[in-house]
Amino acid sequence: MDDHLTPAEERDALAAELALGLLEGQARADALRLSLSDPEFAALVAAWEAKLAPLHGEWADAQPGDAVWDGIERQLVDAPADKVTAIETRLRRWRAGALVSGAVAAALAFVLVTQPVPAPMPAAPQLAVARIESDAAGPLVLARYDQSSGLMQLRIHGFKPGALAPELWVIPEGGAPVSLGQIGHAGKAEMTMPPPHRLLMTEGATLAITMEPVSKTPHSAPSGLAVASGKIITI
Amino acid sequence: MQWPSSADEARTRLVAALTAVGRGDRAALRQVYDMTAAKLFGICLRICGERASAEDVLQTVYIKVWERAGQFDATRASPITWLSTIARNGAIDWRRSVAGRAVRDTLPEQAAFAVADDSLRADQSLVAAEEGERLHHCLDELEGRTRASIRAAFFDGATYAELAARENVPLGTMKSWIRRGLLRLKDCLGDG
Repeated sequence: MDDHLTPAEERDALAAELALGLLEGQARADALRLSLSDPEFAALVAAWEAKLAPLHGEWADAQPGDAVWDGIERQLVDAPADKVTAIETRLRRWRAGALVSGAVAAALAFVLVTQPVPAPMPAAPQLAVARIESDAAGPLVLARYDQSSGLMQLRIHGFKPGALAPELWVIPEGGAPVSLGQIGHAGKAEMTMPPPHRLLMTEGATLAITMEPVSKTPHSAPSGLAVASGKIITI
Repeated sequence: MQWPSSADEARTRLVAALTAVGRGDRAALRQVYDMTAAKLFGICLRICGERASAEDVLQTVYIKVWERAGQFDATRASPITWLSTIARNGAIDWRRSVAGRAVRDTLPEQAAFAVADDSLRADQSLVAAEEGERLHHCLDELEGRTRASIRAAFFDGATYAELAARENVPLGTMKSWIRRGLLRLKDCLGDG
């Protein structure tokens, strides 16, 4: 059916559909991707959530079982003693995952390393940078990527340690998000990108971070909206 | 948990507790849970349609609250709206997941809808009444089946396909009803 909506109306209707949760499958994945890579679209989605918010006054209460709180409490993670420990713990988890099987190892987008990677550095590195940030005074990640060596360096600020871990995504212009794996909550990290992922690190692509359940392997799609994002700029 | 007589006081206490959760205060999370678990579980149960799954989703909802409380801005959203949105989105994520679809396939037909429209009540204690009246007025302006479908999408977490089957109309017709209805709703609300 032809609705004769203008492009702006189409976009607003899509934001409303995502806010209401009407979409499924590929359409839902596409809309989630757009909300990750396009802050203006994400704002439209938030505006629809706000418009519909008075309906939240109508839910009927129901009592959950007593075990629910115990389950929540078990999953709360206190702030780790120091940032380096957090990254090392994560590194060990990732390596453990990589050793499970060749398939799992192949699925790993990259492995976080705490030691500098002894990559051959050419005389004139081609650099790409991105400032991955939220609109509020939230988390901030600075990314520096050397295209000649495939080395990505991150400075990570402002994530609260907990059961959900920041997961880094690269979103090519007009493409689907590809997970680069989970990162620490704070501090520095370095990683060497495998060749297929290097092709995605181009000018105009977006780096975004979502909070995801801790996983040894990168997720296939984000489960929520980006907490921070930024465009890649080549220098 | 006893509610304070004043809704404003409840809201103030909830904002204070959420702010403390944002600083990593576990006791404050328990306080938020005590104040809101019945409401948020109501949301999860209605959309998931089944207690065990709704309780699993409720756990992830409060973990998200623990993670994201630092981003809550009391000047931009009411605390109960902020929490309810996290719960509803979490329950819809579950419904759209492979596991959610598998569990729901085992439920009797219409089980989710049977969680009962007549049990809905106007709990305005924490939701601004004025905005509620305006939205309800604008929803009432819509054609009956369009309004019912938009409400079913919100409260049951129904997809276009489910709504089309429910109203026995083609998918394209349902999409057209809802998209036009939502844009009319926005015009009626009149705040861009």
